[in-house]
Amino acid sequence: MKKIVFLFILTLIIFSACEKDDFCTKNPVTPNLVLRFYDTNSRGTLKDVSALYVWAEGKDTIFKNVITDSIYIPLNSLANETIYNFSKGNVVNQFTIKYTTQDDYVSRSCGFRILFNEVSFESNTTWIKDFTPKALTTIDNQNTAHVQIFH
Amino acid sequence: MYKYFISAFLFFVLVDGFSQAKETAITETKKDTIIYKSAYGIRLGIDISKPILGSISDSYSGFEIVGDYRISKRFFVAAELGYEEQNSIEDYTDSSTKGSYAKLGFNYNAYENWLDMNNEIFVGYRYGFSLFDQTLNSFTPNVNSSYFPANSINNPVTASSLNAHWSEFIFGLKVETFKNLFVSASASYKVLMSVKEPEKFKTLYAPGFNRIFESSTGFGFNYTVSYLISFKKK
Repeated sequence: MKKIVFLFILTLIIFSACEKDDFCTKNPVTPNLVLRFYDTNSRGTLKDVSALYVWAEGKDTIFKNVITDSIYIPLNSLANETIYNFSKGNVVNQFTIKYTTQDDYVSRSCGFRILFNEVSFESNTTWIKDFTPKALTTIDNQNTAHVQIFH
Repeated sequence: MYKYFISAFLFFVLVDGFSQAKETAITETKKDTIIYKSAYGIRLGIDISKPILGSISDSYSGFEIVGDYRISKRFFVAAELGYEEQNSIEDYTDSSTKGSYAKLGFNYNAYENWLDMNNEIFVGYRYGFSLFDQTLNSFTPNVNSSYFPANSINNPVTASSLNAHWSEFIFGLKVETFKNLFVSASASYKVLMSVKEPEKFKTLYAPGFNRIFESSTGFGFNYTVSYLISFKKK
């Protein structure tokens, strides 16, 4: 009888303590850059960009002919700047993001993520009329938009 | 028919009564005075699972000495000393830990032995302490993107003189196979009380504790062979 009770307690302990830190459920681990597009004449309202193509300098297209008012794009963790091209109806606007990177430990299953610090943005102002803010101290999440773009 | 049976029983009762009256005058029944004494002493041994595991696995090596001392019918003071090395390879990190540990506590034998047997079904508690170094051999930042893939960074960083303290709850069996030679198997559930974490990283494994789960708990298994040096019997 005692034996049964002990075995029962042991089983209970084993099963109650098992957990899923074998799988990284956090998504994304390294934050992406989130951009939202607003109307330049009425800066409180979102405005879709039509026929939007997005690609990083020397890379494939990530967004191909989409109509959207917000996008998120990855940043290159191996460099200190990422140059993106945003094309709207064949007009290309170059958007440069400069930053420093920092390794930040998350968990056993997720490993290290990259934080982007001292972030600054530049644009060659073709179809993008303006954007705000011009700089950010850090990008450590993507819960809200990092940059508002006016066009 | 039943009448004859009943009569026959009555007849035997009478006979029995006569014989009993005669015998009591001649002999007296002896009281059973045999008491099975059990040995008290120090029991020393090794954990056989650790060297075996070390020879099979490339990522582990370890050694453990176990000992206990019987203080009463059911209580044993128990201790373990050991050394372990473990290479923890995760999806995004590769780290290795090496160091030594000590555990001290007691076992309570819940098993009622028959005759002169010396077996145990025990529960126990240990306080554990370990001192170790952890090296982050390499890691790949988790950038969750194939658009800008990350490179593996092979720049080993060692954090030395880390430590961990924990409580351990044990359940196990001990069987005397030959005279004074015991074979034991036990499982333990560990709860971390404190751990010194390396800078910009985390302690993933502590010697004696094994893998540290996210909830600061751990599991362990022991298979030991030990020999009893008996001091006295009572």
